[in-house]
Amino acid sequence: MTLLSLTGIDIREWSQLADDENPQEGASVLVPLARLLEDGDAVFTAAGKVGAIVPTSANYLDLENINDKLAFIAIDFPAFGDGRGFSLAVRLRKDFGFKGEVRAHGPVMPDQALFLLRAGFDSVDIADATRIDAFKTSLTRFKDFYQTDYTGGRSLAYARHGNIGTRIAS
Amino acid sequence: MYAYDKFDRDMVDVRVSEFRDQVERRVKGELTEEEFRPIRLMNGLYLQLHAYMLRVAVPYGTMSADQMRRLAHVARKYDKGYGHFTTRQNIQFNWPKLSETPDILEELAEVEMHAIQTSGNCIRNVTSDQFAGATADEIADPRPYAELLRQWSSFHPEFSFLPRKFKFAITGADQDRAAVKWHDIGLIVRKNDAGEVGFEVLAGGGMGRTPVIAKTIREFLPEKDLLSYVEAMLRVYNEQGRRDNKYKARIKILIEAMGADEFARQTEAEWERVKDAHIDVPAEEVARIKAFFTPPPLEVLSIDAPALEDLSKENFVFAAWVKNNTNAHKVPGYVNVTISLKPHGGIPGDASSEQMDLVAALADEYSQSEIRVSHEQNLILPHVALRDLPAIWTDLDEAGLGTANVGLLTDMIVCPGLDYCALANARSIPIAQAITKRFDDMKRLQDIGPLKVKMSGCINSCGHHHAGHIGILGVDRKGQELYQILLGGSGAEDASKAGILGPGFDEHGIVDALEKVVAVYLGERLDGEEFLATYRRIGAQIFKEAIYDAA
Repeated sequence: MTLLSLTGIDIREWSQLADDENPQEGASVLVPLARLLEDGDAVFTAAGKVGAIVPTSANYLDLENINDKLAFIAIDFPAFGDGRGFSLAVRLRKDFGFKGEVRAHGPVMPDQALFLLRAGFDSVDIADATRIDAFKTSLTRFKDFYQTDYTGGRSLAYARHGNIGTRIAS
Repeated sequence: MYAYDKFDRDMVDVRVSEFRDQVERRVKGELTEEEFRPIRLMNGLYLQLHAYMLRVAVPYGTMSADQMRRLAHVARKYDKGYGHFTTRQNIQFNWPKLSETPDILEELAEVEMHAIQTSGNCIRNVTSDQFAGATADEIADPRPYAELLRQWSSFHPEFSFLPRKFKFAITGADQDRAAVKWHDIGLIVRKNDAGEVGFEVLAGGGMGRTPVIAKTIREFLPEKDLLSYVEAMLRVYNEQGRRDNKYKARIKILIEAMGADEFARQTEAEWERVKDAHIDVPAEEVARIKAFFTPPPLEVLSIDAPALEDLSKENFVFAAWVKNNTNAHKVPGYVNVTISLKPHGGIPGDASSEQMDLVAALADEYSQSEIRVSHEQNLILPHVALRDLPAIWTDLDEAGLGTANVGLLTDMIVCPGLDYCALANARSIPIAQAITKRFDDMKRLQDIGPLKVKMSGCINSCGHHHAGHIGILGVDRKGQELYQILLGGSGAEDASKAGILGPGFDEHGIVDALEKVVAVYLGERLDGEEFLATYRRIGAQIFKEAIYDAA
């Protein structure tokens, strides 16, 4: 496992809480969304910073009441083609104004790096460490974009007429 | 037509270098075939039965003479000297080498062409009316909106890994020549009571194994809101479309399951939240794009063309060609010429490099250097003066492009079928050749009148058989290729699904069966009644009896 920051923010490993384990007082823990929805209060009360592992199949509305208690959300892609993960990240930024870190877990490809960044991901957990350079290359390939997204950049349609917005740098 | 600025040019150049890098990584083994597959598909590269196939986009079916010449060059240099025009108004090259595809894309980028998103589970080439901007029955030229959609959908950060492929079509005319009701999203340019331009938005249409006609999601969407509204639609689909079964993954299945009203409700709710998020482009950008589609300055000409009259009198085929292969232009004295790529006995939709070069030369001389591709797999010279028709037809006819069958029985939509396609169950091309040979008599074709025959070599229905007045579907029955007949479909504004008549026929029997269907029509039709109207009036039973009882 190798971590890559897409947005340039500082990132670190998060250790996952075992299913039968309770968080130590003040510890940073990574917990599956399902458990947080079942007995989230216990975890939030005991732990320090809490991260959630969210499957791409999750309904973003499940995160509506807890996202402001989360420091970190890992969206877990079962396959690189499961585009629901992109919409989930967009929902977190757009609908909840989520400011914490969003990370892509699972078999995402280097060629998806820029899509991930622009959908609102901050970081990627790269299963095959030898691919980190390919991820970096992909991340800086395109400089301009045809879409306004929810990371602050305006589409080329605006740039053409002098309004470039403020995109998060990669 | 639209011309790239430095941003657009940069975009395709970077895409070419990215694809070159991806091909190299695949060759070195750094990318698995499983990973490379969606990557190459998103750049139009398929692995077919015998070879790779490269599908190049012709956005909304509009191209320049220079672009056509470049396609001819690509066919000559990298392929076997021909290309195949498709129902998505694209062109396919059937024999490129994988290692040469980056070079092909580089040559195409030089003339502002690309293969971006001509395949894959993403938003595909937006299709449109082949006569857009040149037809008399139009509210507004739909191509500026198609170009807006092209740009917005290219490398979309959220919608590049959809449950399944996604196809838009847009028309600005009363007559639907773009089959918009058979698309994932169909857009019809409308004017509201205040005279403002906007769109009727339809969704959930599609062919394949589950044919569905699109439903209206919104009666009138203001022009300025197009992109934010379709973003809302795509988000609902991306989140909720099925991903467990590729045959149930299209938006039509989602909309059938949740209901069009519920889909509309969710779309409207999401749209309320994004309509002011600068997804839509500023007014000056709409104006910039529209300026590229300003109609050419055509001097009004007399509708009397003596040379045309003379040749029509002495040459029956030319007279038929003028009748069938031209349609009314906005400006008096002009027409749009449809060049049939359906020569009798030929391969529907194919054009050789020499033919492409000729069409490019004719476009330079007679049609403002502009060429269109129709979803019915023909080429169009728009804005042609009536007086030039004799010279154009003479040149076309010498090159085997003078067939006068547009809109008639032999102007068939036909998929590549088992001769090329890895998905096909049956061959399509030889059946089309047999049919066009059987119905080779122009006088007979003229008498039969307007009739749309559409054939697919499998249930995926690339040949639009569900939308054919007569559809033909190739199936595999225990290793034998059989062909079923469907009747009563329409891809036009009166869209309807064709119904299967009964068991299939072998490759000879299908031609006989088609002939019997035509004979029933000729016997039953009222004065001036076209095939589809007769079918709708008399129903399927009498056709069924004719082709099965007598057999």
